[in-house]
Amino acid sequence: MDIQVHEVSSDTAVLECSGRLNMVSAGTFRETVATVVDGGRARLVVELSGVEFMDSSGLGALVGCLKTARQAGGDLRIAAPSEQVQMVLKLSNIDKILRTYPDGDAAVTNWG
Amino acid sequence: MSPLMGGHVLDLACPPDDVTAVHTFLESVWDREPDVSVEDRMALELALVELASNVIEHGAGGRPVSCSLRLDVGPEDVRVLLTDDGVPVPVDPAKAHLPEGLAESGRGLALVQMVVEDLRYERVADGNRWTAHRGRH
Repeated sequence: MDIQVHEVSSDTAVLECSGRLNMVSAGTFRETVATVVDGGRARLVVELSGVEFMDSSGLGALVGCLKTARQAGGDLRIAAPSEQVQMVLKLSNIDKILRTYPDGDAAVTNWG
Repeated sequence: MSPLMGGHVLDLACPPDDVTAVHTFLESVWDREPDVSVEDRMALELALVELASNVIEHGAGGRPVSCSLRLDVGPEDVRVLLTDDGVPVPVDPAKAHLPEGLAESGRGLALVQMVVEDLRYERVADGNRWTAHRGRH
């Protein structure tokens, strides 16, 4: 998978992902998030419109990264999940845990 | 096997193969079976990648694991068969369930159960055998 990191403010980043989030890429995803959070940005928006496939390895990585962000005083949101990603989020009930936004712009504001 | 059945087979040796080969294989299957619905494709890809991921993760006790995947696309349903020569897997797929919300693993088999019917696991000779089917939507 490919991950583009957009630093939108001093504490917020959008991770624009494309490809597949599975056992091959989950480690890279976790490492990228850890680097962004270490760099001071713990409010994360994971933009998933370009991710055509996610499985339980990807879900595990998202949950792990949610914890990483919260431990650093931030949070993790999902934006624009594709049809396949929405299916997996719903089947796993992770849609109850990870807040989902229609697009990256809607997700980057009002962190409360 | 009925002559109407379209059988598609993929043989894996892991390493170096990984689940990318399963994704690529399924793309070629859908090219040859263009009337399988998007809903069924998504379900079957999830099920097969989860099962293959389990095989790769559990492995064969330090040596490479060989895995064969077969998909039979029939007019009413799609049958799935996955065999490997890996270590025995201590699971009962009938008891697979989602872990607590913030768990970082353990969801794979529960997801497979949700998208296929009659998921079965058997230890046979020196290998493992997984079967399932899905009625076409």
